Amino acid sequence: MKRYDLIIVGAGPSGLSAAIEAAKRGLKVVVFDENEKPGGQLFKQIHKFFGSREHRAKVRGFVIGRQLLEEADKAGVKVVLNATVIGLYQDKEVVVKTGDGVCHYKGDAIIIATGAAENMVTFPGWTLPGVIGAGAAQTMINMHGVLPGKRVLMLGSGNVGLVVSFQLMQCGCEVAALVDAAPRVGGYGVHAAKVARTGVPFYLSHTIVKAEGEEYVTGVTIAEIDKNFRFIEGTEKHFDVDTICLAVGLSPMSQLLKMAGCKMEDNPARGGQVPVCDEHGRTSLEGVFVAGDVSGIEEASSAMIEGCMAGIAAAEYLGYIEKEELEKEMVSLDVALDGLRQGMFAPKNRGKAIARTEEGIEISESLLQNGYVADDEIARFPGVMHKAGVHPVMECTQNIPCNPCQDACPRGCISIGENITSLPLVVDGAECINCGMCVASCSGQAIFLVDEDCGDGTATVTIPYEFLPLPETGTKGAALGRNGKKVCEAEVLGVKASKAFDKTNLLTMRVPKEYAMKARFFQTEQKGAGA
Amino acid sequence: MSNTAEVVVIGGGIIGCAISYYLAKRKVSVICLEGSDHIGNGGSSRNGGGVRQSGRDPRELPLVMYGIKKFWPTLSDELEVDCEYHQDGNLRLGKTEKHREILTGLTERAVKVGLDVKMIDGTEVRRINPYLSEEVTCASWCPTDGHANPLTTTLGYYKAARKLGVRFISGEKAVGLKKVKGKLRKVLCESGNIYEGETVVLAAGYESREIAASVGIDIPMQRAMLEALVTEAEPHMFDQMLGTAEADFYGHQTKHGSFVFGGSSGLEGFTKDNGTPICYSKTAPCICRGILKYFPVLADAKIVRTWAGWMDKCADGVPVLGEVAEVPGLVLACGFTGHGFGIAPGAADQLAELITTGKTEIDLSELRYDRFKAKI
Amino acid sequence: MNTVNDRARDIGPFVPAADDDMLICRCEEITKGEIRKAVHEGMWTMTEIRRYLRTGMGLCQGQTCSRLVKGIVARELGISPAELEPATSRVPMRPIEMHIFANEKKEGETDE
Repeated sequence: MKRYDLIIVGAGPSGLSAAIEAAKRGLKVVVFDENEKPGGQLFKQIHKFFGSREHRAKVRGFVIGRQLLEEADKAGVKVVLNATVIGLYQDKEVVVKTGDGVCHYKGDAIIIATGAAENMVTFPGWTLPGVIGAGAAQTMINMHGVLPGKRVLMLGSGNVGLVVSFQLMQCGCEVAALVDAAPRVGGYGVHAAKVARTGVPFYLSHTIVKAEGEEYVTGVTIAEIDKNFRFIEGTEKHFDVDTICLAVGLSPMSQLLKMAGCKMEDNPARGGQVPVCDEHGRTSLEGVFVAGDVSGIEEASSAMIEGCMAGIAAAEYLGYIEKEELEKEMVSLDVALDGLRQGMFAPKNRGKAIARTEEGIEISESLLQNGYVADDEIARFPGVMHKAGVHPVMECTQNIPCNPCQDACPRGCISIGENITSLPLVVDGAECINCGMCVASCSGQAIFLVDEDCGDGTATVTIPYEFLPLPETGTKGAALGRNGKKVCEAEVLGVKASKAFDKTNLLTMRVPKEYAMKARFFQTEQKGAGA
Repeated sequence: MSNTAEVVVIGGGIIGCAISYYLAKRKVSVICLEGSDHIGNGGSSRNGGGVRQSGRDPRELPLVMYGIKKFWPTLSDELEVDCEYHQDGNLRLGKTEKHREILTGLTERAVKVGLDVKMIDGTEVRRINPYLSEEVTCASWCPTDGHANPLTTTLGYYKAARKLGVRFISGEKAVGLKKVKGKLRKVLCESGNIYEGETVVLAAGYESREIAASVGIDIPMQRAMLEALVTEAEPHMFDQMLGTAEADFYGHQTKHGSFVFGGSSGLEGFTKDNGTPICYSKTAPCICRGILKYFPVLADAKIVRTWAGWMDKCADGVPVLGEVAEVPGLVLACGFTGHGFGIAPGAADQLAELITTGKTEIDLSELRYDRFKAKI
Repeated sequence: MNTVNDRARDIGPFVPAADDDMLICRCEEITKGEIRKAVHEGMWTMTEIRRYLRTGMGLCQGQTCSRLVKGIVARELGISPAELEPATSRVPMRPIEMHIFANEKKEGETDE
């Protein structure tokens, strides 16, 4: 039987990271993935990632996937695609389906990095064609170039629901509403804000009453729910949609471990059925490790670090490195992982209602309830200040582990400081040169360049703009507020696209100066947002 | 709640559930202890579903014939669950002269006991089942054999027994027995709980051996792992139960449309016992190859699941049933050797009859514990 | 590891509900009502429910419904879903054609 030092199941962020680290230390490594393309979820993540530079922040997911593949290739990792591991057997044996047959392999060590699958919720009509997982919709649009429908209702306000809503609009779909049974938006506020400002209404404390249609979805009714999750009569709202996307969480795909007799636990905090493992991914089966979502649902960024840990742990297990090296490497990886697990959305804060930021500022209730910071709340955040001339306005109001903006400004206008979760602020005395690097660097699309008074009664507002076609200079349209409603007329002064911006275009519009701190999106008159 | 009943049944498989049911029907109070967390978690839910007389040892044949006449045809109605019983015959297939010899021998022995079974040729086989390959040249054909759904049948007995007041306790692993004043009385469990009964029925499959050992009874049986697999649902093709002379596979198409097939790799007797019934990597591909030689038409049918289970393989291939003279109060019902499903209703009914009246309609004397003797 | 579970415990009667005809297991077309009813017939574990009704035995192998079924069973028993055992996983991870499973290639044949 063909034997490898290390067999990795899953070529996603954690599997590839593990492969690179192990192969760099001399292990003979093979990675099997059932998909035709490697990279797992990374290749459908067209948005820029949060984090710090070491965590590949502000790089788009699919680019990270490409980088990992190159590194894996350079390290001598063998990646076998269209290869479904159908079973994990005793003695660390896997059976892999490739082509028209199966092949047996044994590994001296095995890393399971199979990721997660989408959860479903039930309501009358949930089995109608047109009800799909948000992740599935994302695969359709970003991997296969197929629209799931024309008009979509999104259930779930976590990061997946928010990000996929935005991407559906980028592809030309209309998002009729974003609905969540929870009373507060679950995902990053900046993700919510960029969806809300295009005009998508948020319905929190609402859920789906029923999907309508005989053969397929033709509409949906939602209603408000009380604290006991019962519908409140008279609050029903109907939408004509052809697609209902469900973004209601993920479950670890841990079946291979279960079938091999690995000790498992049902851990709601980690997303469901997960293997019992230590902090570096060692399971109850000797020589079998886990990394990424399969061991607990988190972000791709933490999956990559977990992958590195498992890869290094496997190298030590097989004697390719000494224990001292293992311990040394783990120290920095632990710090990195810990860094990602900070801030308001840290695993330890899950389910907690946080009233104030780390800086002691009252958080925006409107952001949590409506998806946008209200006009009368925005001024209290440190990134929002007034100044003569062009200056950045950073509408970053929650403590999340992310800091690319501070490195982006060549003039050092922006500071986050030591603590990566701190809110950014504008440095006193530093001169903004209107280069736009900060706007393009912000993964949350929360930075704007504003000249509050051009001297002629107008102001200019530069916004990140990731929709096609780009409006031409001189196009007249509407400036939308943070809530997605029209605040005033606006005229496009120009759209800057540069390689350095990495496809985040900078649209500058002229508005009456009283709307400088309110206008946050541009919509051409004839078409809807994103059309 | 009291831990005492007239009868304590150890084992919540089909045998234990059915005995509990037939006892409860006879107004006997019963506590049934299942060691695992699930009712019917051993061979009862892992077998191929054969309800078969042909191919059996003459010693157990009367018991299964009794069950097929008396219980199987009406079992779904009785238990109020769809047992999916089909009495559409059993084809035991052969491809070579050697196969023909094996099959003819089995057939002759069964005919002697009064079973309606005969040898047929390849043409006749394909008239009964047109999907079989041309390689099949002969078969034994028993028209009164059939198959059923082991999962719903086992749980059906459980459900019906529970409805009649049997107290089932799962996760209650019996580890020993204890006599009181010369008569078996107590069942000791891993949890520390103790149950008491005038009669204790031991129907715990292979685990019965260790439990019986606590009162000095040694049942000569081994544990052997068997594997099976199931396909996705396919359009309806045939209703017979199938087996082969070579025993390379057996199975049937279920009501659901899926095909359930069991088989072996030939290494079963020597597999590593790792404590859980985990499939071996070599077995399922081997079963598939076996099937495809007989059913090339199933080449594209998708396998959805494979599983393994242990059988309690008795030294002489037939179960150990009935009382044990040395231990009054003990009734054995184990050692079914991988073919305990079809025989379960008949065996359970007769053991219930034995416990309540001291007599049975079918002679069980050849299946008693005291039958084991050295060969010379 | 095993938990003593007295099946004589009173869990109350089966009370029909408005959404009983809602499909839960799509592959095998099992409704919420069937699952709830099975609990009252004594099927108290995920394994028993699966064997009794076929939930999670279809092509998706419970990927979609196992979490949903667990919630329904737990609610009916008045316990937390975490108290129920995890769904069973068996080879193959993905359904596989019989002729492919039968075709064991030599080492390295699929490999280079």
